[in-house]
Amino acid sequence: MKRYLRFVIPAGLLVVILAGLLFALSDNLVFFHTPEEVLDGAIDDPNQRFRLGGQVEAGSIATTAEGVTFFVGDGKQLVQVFHTGAPQELFQEGIGVVVEGVWDGTAFHSDTMLVKHDEQYRTEDGVYETPDGAVTSS
Amino acid sequence: MTRTYLQIAAIGTMVTALAAGLLVPADAVQGDVGRLMYVHVPGAWLAYLSFLVTLTASVAFLFTRKLRWDRIAVSSAEIGVYFTGLTIALGMIWAKPIWGVWWTWDARLILTAVMFFVYLGYLALRKTMTDPIVRAKRSAVFGILAAVQIPIVHFSVEWWRSLHQPATIIRPDASPQIDPPLFAALMMGVAAFTVAYVALMAVRIELARVDEAIDAAHNSNAVVAGDAVGRPNLKVEIHD
Repeated sequence: MKRYLRFVIPAGLLVVILAGLLFALSDNLVFFHTPEEVLDGAIDDPNQRFRLGGQVEAGSIATTAEGVTFFVGDGKQLVQVFHTGAPQELFQEGIGVVVEGVWDGTAFHSDTMLVKHDEQYRTEDGVYETPDGAVTSS
Repeated sequence: MTRTYLQIAAIGTMVTALAAGLLVPADAVQGDVGRLMYVHVPGAWLAYLSFLVTLTASVAFLFTRKLRWDRIAVSSAEIGVYFTGLTIALGMIWAKPIWGVWWTWDARLILTAVMFFVYLGYLALRKTMTDPIVRAKRSAVFGILAAVQIPIVHFSVEWWRSLHQPATIIRPDASPQIDPPLFAALMMGVAAFTVAYVALMAVRIELARVDEAIDAAHNSNAVVAGDAVGRPNLKVEIHD
């Protein structure tokens, strides 16, 4: 039995340490903040760079002198983004984006954009199911 | 003979799956780039499968003390490292046109890279030991502990908000988010990669067996047939 304990005790310890680390780092493992979190004051330093993610709101896209402006939403809140530079190729209404920049208290100013596509793979003539469960034909 | 049949089957299923992946309709959002899914996802599946086989073989070794299990464990880990690397490389090629970057510090990406290096460490650790029993025992413990990360890698996209999209097939709500023709092509890819895994394993396990036989021959001082005509003397003497 002792032989097994030599293995089980370190293994148990390792699992506890790993679980603790993952739990403690949970906030840092999050890749981006949501509009709701930002409006709730998650980031109050106007100089702190962070990532904001959400869906591009339909009808909110407009070009500006520096690039493009649009609203991102998480289904609860909307935040206006002023993006400097050319948007990504797949950038369009309804697609997920993660933008990196600063929050001035009223709007988000980004200079880096990533497109986040969802886990759905559909054919052109198929039925496109949106993440919130509403089914629309595309 | 069996190995030859396995290799023929692997090539056959690979070609069929490749054809299916290229012939099914393109994804509505990603277009043809989305076809990378048919190799990226099976690659990731094989990485998981390989390391789960290493886990199982490691447990089996500790219970039975049969070196056969150690050969399976190391063979599978080596193939797993290869496919983890392939998955990361294909993922990068996919990420550039869709996300806009080759690499970013996303939880799924970091954890996959960690998994790659941990199993590379498993292979490196083995090289530091010469005694087959000691090596098998220690690597079995490593092979079991390292497997803890497999579910963490897979479910990282569900547990933390990430750039990498959540799972399409193996997901908590168990409802695949993929249209039937695309799903069929993906499953053919998974099947083809699995057959290729079996074919690679057959060759790699045989290699491990031959390796072991050579080691055993070098380590024994027994007189072997042909000794009289000069057996290469590979015994290393260490002088302090």
